[in-house]
Amino acid sequence: MSWLFGKKKEEQPKVEEVREVTFDLDPNANSAASFLNADLDTTKLHPMAGLDAGMEYFTLEGNETIYYDGLLPSRGWNDDLCYGTGVLYLSGLGVGGFSGLMEGLRTVQEGAPAKIKINHVLNTITKRGPFLGNSMGVLGFFYNIINSKILYDIRGKHDSFNSIAAGAIAGAIFRAPRGTKPMLIASGITAAGAGVWCVFKQAVFGPPAEKTPLE
Amino acid sequence: MADQGRDPCPIVIINDFGGAFAMGIVGGTIWHGIKGFRNSPLGERRAGAFSAIRMRAPVVGGNFGTWGGVFSTMDCTVKAIRRKEDPFNSIIAGFMTGGALAFRGGWRYARNGAISCGLLLAVIEGVGIAVGRYFAAAQAPPMQAPMAA
Repeated sequence: MSWLFGKKKEEQPKVEEVREVTFDLDPNANSAASFLNADLDTTKLHPMAGLDAGMEYFTLEGNETIYYDGLLPSRGWNDDLCYGTGVLYLSGLGVGGFSGLMEGLRTVQEGAPAKIKINHVLNTITKRGPFLGNSMGVLGFFYNIINSKILYDIRGKHDSFNSIAAGAIAGAIFRAPRGTKPMLIASGITAAGAGVWCVFKQAVFGPPAEKTPLE
Repeated sequence: MADQGRDPCPIVIINDFGGAFAMGIVGGTIWHGIKGFRNSPLGERRAGAFSAIRMRAPVVGGNFGTWGGVFSTMDCTVKAIRRKEDPFNSIIAGFMTGGALAFRGGWRYARNGAISCGLLLAVIEGVGIAVGRYFAAAQAPPMQAPMAA
């Protein structure tokens, strides 16, 4: 089963590699020249000498600017989209699942067999959780694309205005098919949510910063 | 060679959830847009496509997101247990993901789902290795000079 779990570590006697360059004084030498012209490989004196055998090189492709703002460093709109959507989707899934669990436990049939009770609770969880998760995920998808790609490309900077405007537009798109009034309400709610997030972010994580790792 | 383009393990799960969800949304929009367009009567095609997207694309996104996120979680778990990085990580993770997601259908479905997901991931990994070999053979990269002392 070594292919599955990996080989067991075998105890191998550690062989200390001895790499020494001796500078013994040659009694036959009659001048400094014979000492200086000794067969001496200076690369072996370097502390990292000999390490390049079997070494993997670390290739860094590109040198993107990393943007520090909020919870995680971001390498661009791509990262923003993945993490933002992921966080919103997961939190929606969690909150929805929890409310489904509560609802299931509340409405469970008294005196039913355990299997039916468990099934009922699981059904309510899978009814509520994915619904809220999907809605939040779609909202997060719109918000992050508008915030990190469209508005950033137009205005050329990340700031709170971007975020709040993106929230308003995302909410409006999300509720647009329901009519004008729900659209405006949803737009206001999401813009307010984005504003709260901006204030929270600035207060907890400090002002945004841009860094380029290798100069 | 370890993949440097991805983030380290526990945090990459969120990235995968979001990335898979976004991919599912985009794919579901295209798929159900075309399907809704074709299945609607003339004159209502645009509305039909739109409502199909609104109804179905988030569900596709959610399914993709769940799959991707569970897969990433399993992948990280397998990596943490085996302490190795090789194609078997993804295959084991795919096997476990398929089993976990089909679990509510019963043992039979869980087993079938696990096996088909494991096979799918094995095929993907195999194709990945084959393509990698092909390109590596096509253009061998120049050897890097050893570190100067």
